[in-house]
Amino acid sequence: MPDNELSHYAVSVVGADRPGIVAGVAKALYTLGCNIADSSCTMLAGEFAMILIISHPKPFTKTQLFEELKPVSERMAMTLSIRHLPRGEEKRRETGGEICRITVYGADQPGIVYRVTDNLASRRINIIDLKSKLIEMGSEPVYVMLLEALLPDTITPEDVEYLLEGLKQELKVEINVRIVTPVEF
Amino acid sequence: MAIQPILKYPHPLLKRMAHRVKGFDSAISNLMQDLIDTMHAGPGSVGVAAPQIGVCLRACVVDVSGNLRGKEDNHGLLCMLNPEILSRRGSAVMREGCMSVPDYTGDVERSTEIIVRFFDGLDHQERLVAASGFEAVAIQHELDHLDGILFIDRVINISTELFSRKKYR
Repeated sequence: MPDNELSHYAVSVVGADRPGIVAGVAKALYTLGCNIADSSCTMLAGEFAMILIISHPKPFTKTQLFEELKPVSERMAMTLSIRHLPRGEEKRRETGGEICRITVYGADQPGIVYRVTDNLASRRINIIDLKSKLIEMGSEPVYVMLLEALLPDTITPEDVEYLLEGLKQELKVEINVRIVTPVEF
Repeated sequence: MAIQPILKYPHPLLKRMAHRVKGFDSAISNLMQDLIDTMHAGPGSVGVAAPQIGVCLRACVVDVSGNLRGKEDNHGLLCMLNPEILSRRGSAVMREGCMSVPDYTGDVERSTEIIVRFFDGLDHQERLVAASGFEAVAIQHELDHLDGILFIDRVINISTELFSRKKYR
């Protein structure tokens, strides 16, 4: 079905982890006739978080979707939110720059995520994936952050290393940058 | 010869074990030329395997000499019939994509050094090639096509290792 005959929504469901969350949400979406496109579902601490991009043939409304999913999320004591995607947002925008994986880790302290991402944002480097975890290692917790960023054409991975070098010294964290731009065979 | 259309998954041929080439004839010469032409037609393509153009035979071409990652260390155009990897060493992860699985990429672990034996599709001589780095990865990717294996079958997720909640024993 062409995209202009579909309504697209971003749905997020978050709540205490337990078996059956994905099945419960997926069943409701299936019954409703929704297609699940991209999704990311993961456990964060004791919470399970689902983010899904879904589509449904028009006519269809956010209210209909909310009313069908609400009983499911309430039954599992989960928070539900839905956003209608305006035309153009249902597809990822590709650019020609390199993709970098940036690994940051070190003794936990306030501001690691903020300082690193603020530096990247100041150069219009777009974060496309980010995962972080606080690792309790005895008396000194360690913070680990892995992110992937899409560089503008004018910025090289070496520029990113240089950009973050000061921060590395200041926060006393390790920061590594490597290219992960896919190769098509 | 001609640029052939690339089959896309879920075409069943892409998941089938390809047959050994049993001899050299004009059909094989034409196939090799089609593979070369199709590879050169793909933007940035460094290899094509026969199943990708609808021929269920153990034949493929690889040429990484025009790629930034492979231009320093390569054997030029490799036209391979009945290729076999005789030995492997090392491993590295590279993010791969494939013309037969468009719009999807994933991290794949491959050997960094391989020795591959094959019959050259152009001069019909047996060859042994010791490939490393990017060329070794490209060869392994194309050889997988001959066994009906797509890169998706080999995708690993590094983050599950780093973020594993399992206790190490």
